[in-house]
Amino acid sequence: MKPDRLTPMERFAAYHRGKPLDRLPCVPIVGNTAARVLGVKVSDFRGNGRLIANAQIAAYRRFGYDVIRIFTDLYTQAEAMGAKVHYPEDETAYLAEPAITSTDGIASLQLADPYKDGNLPHHLEAMERTFQAVGKEVPVTGALTGPFTTASFLIGTDNLVRLTLRNPAAVHQLCDLACQGALIYAGAILDTGCAPSLTDAMCSTTVISPRQFKEFGQPYLKRLVDFIHGRGRAVTLHICGKTAPIWEAMADTGADCLSIDNAADLEAAKAKVGHRVRLMGNVPPSEIMLQGTTAQVREAVRACVRKAHNNPKGLIVASGCSLPVETPFANIDAMLDAVREIGWPVDVDELETELAA
Amino acid sequence: MPNQAESLFHALSDAVVGMDEERTRQLSIQAVDQGIDALSAIEHGLVEGMNRAGKLFETEEYFIPELLLCSDAMYAGLDILRPHLKHEENQIRHKIVIGVVEGDTHDIGKNLVKIMLEASGFDIVDLGRDIPPQRFVDEAIQSQASVIALSTLMTTTMDGMAEVIQLLHKAKVRERFKVIVGGGPISQAFANRIGADGYAAGAPAAVKLVKQLIGEAA
Repeated sequence: MKPDRLTPMERFAAYHRGKPLDRLPCVPIVGNTAARVLGVKVSDFRGNGRLIANAQIAAYRRFGYDVIRIFTDLYTQAEAMGAKVHYPEDETAYLAEPAITSTDGIASLQLADPYKDGNLPHHLEAMERTFQAVGKEVPVTGALTGPFTTASFLIGTDNLVRLTLRNPAAVHQLCDLACQGALIYAGAILDTGCAPSLTDAMCSTTVISPRQFKEFGQPYLKRLVDFIHGRGRAVTLHICGKTAPIWEAMADTGADCLSIDNAADLEAAKAKVGHRVRLMGNVPPSEIMLQGTTAQVREAVRACVRKAHNNPKGLIVASGCSLPVETPFANIDAMLDAVREIGWPVDVDELETELAA
Repeated sequence: MPNQAESLFHALSDAVVGMDEERTRQLSIQAVDQGIDALSAIEHGLVEGMNRAGKLFETEEYFIPELLLCSDAMYAGLDILRPHLKHEENQIRHKIVIGVVEGDTHDIGKNLVKIMLEASGFDIVDLGRDIPPQRFVDEAIQSQASVIALSTLMTTTMDGMAEVIQLLHKAKVRERFKVIVGGGPISQAFANRIGADGYAAGAPAAVKLVKQLIGEAA
């Protein structure tokens, strides 16, 4: 196995131009696991942009992956608009209560000021510090939650999904508001030097139908993608769970890269949208990265590469979703090492032979 | 008149599948007024409709929003028909304690499982979300449940599932309950490892699993 020869920036630049590489880009999506690298508690990240930055930089240096994503949880924008978030001492935060409980409350919702409200200023600080420190050698992105998902945290998921059928106008009102907030926050993220990285978890067809995604998800995502493109940056869109029926609609948002959950198949995604978008995925975060052995991690990486190394718009080997906090470092190392072992150019015969053996 | 009853059952079933809460309510009142057997109206009307909705969900014609509205219609009908059940009909059902493990508030998956189990005639004790392990044990003992169903979407809370099983052992009541687990990060392998009795990937599968575990024909 050869050590890395290129920085992530150099690797992506070469990959874009079809030049020789040392290995495929690889992104174990490290969020709160970064706390473990510094030996701090997850709740220490709350309100502490400097610590988030230090942890993310340390994690990047420890593992040598190809994108840093400043992320702690999906609730930051909703929290800044009034949703209540619970912060366990040493685990990922979760939604305690939505901001409002019925459509009557919509009028009372207000856009957040990203420099003032909730944890947004601290996340922006983390993005700025990280970008200043390592932004020249590795892409640094800032997590941006999609409007439909933020809307679900504002009024509650049960409420929102019922409203998609009972009161579509109210859903649009909420998504529009969440989208305006996301546009403001995206602008602030871009001002730090980072590119926003979009996640719209609730848009999964595990939750809503493809028709509903086209009505309530896609148009707002497109507004965000257009805005980010307008500022000259590329954008990745991640949707959790099942997504096969909406891959084309996801690509229609204009996103440059689709990050696919392990509930979906990379090979099928390649066939459907691989000529339009780069694909990122999809080693199972829980079953393999958290609970699996290093040998299972290696096999899962090789399966991803076998399926999508020849994706016309390229492949980033990644976890299917953000890694669980307690993911063993050995498994993150094993993920990178498996990609290093495969190297470049990808020897398909070798991958296939081992599979047959 | 059996024909009148039959057509009312069909109409009830259609109203549930059609997500029409108001019509389900009206038809249920009509059933009561006409002296139609409440249990039959529930089983052949409401539950039949909910099962059809479950099938549409499995084939991805319906999604969570549709399934929730169908369940709203079913519950509206149940509210009207249940008081007219004969006493013994209310007693024979197996109890299932269900909830989302402490550290997580994602409860849509749990709600779907609850709806489908309820539609299958089980008596559900829904503890809600963010539930400490000990409470599952206490509530299961107290309500004399047959099954404990644990749900989570977060990997951080998976240990809480194992803890429920350990607590059952500690209280020497493990063999009294079947424990089933489900949710995004859960797998059959995880279920085996923590000593759960079963794992289901989705709501319709959970119904089959429960029926299998407590020995009813699926």
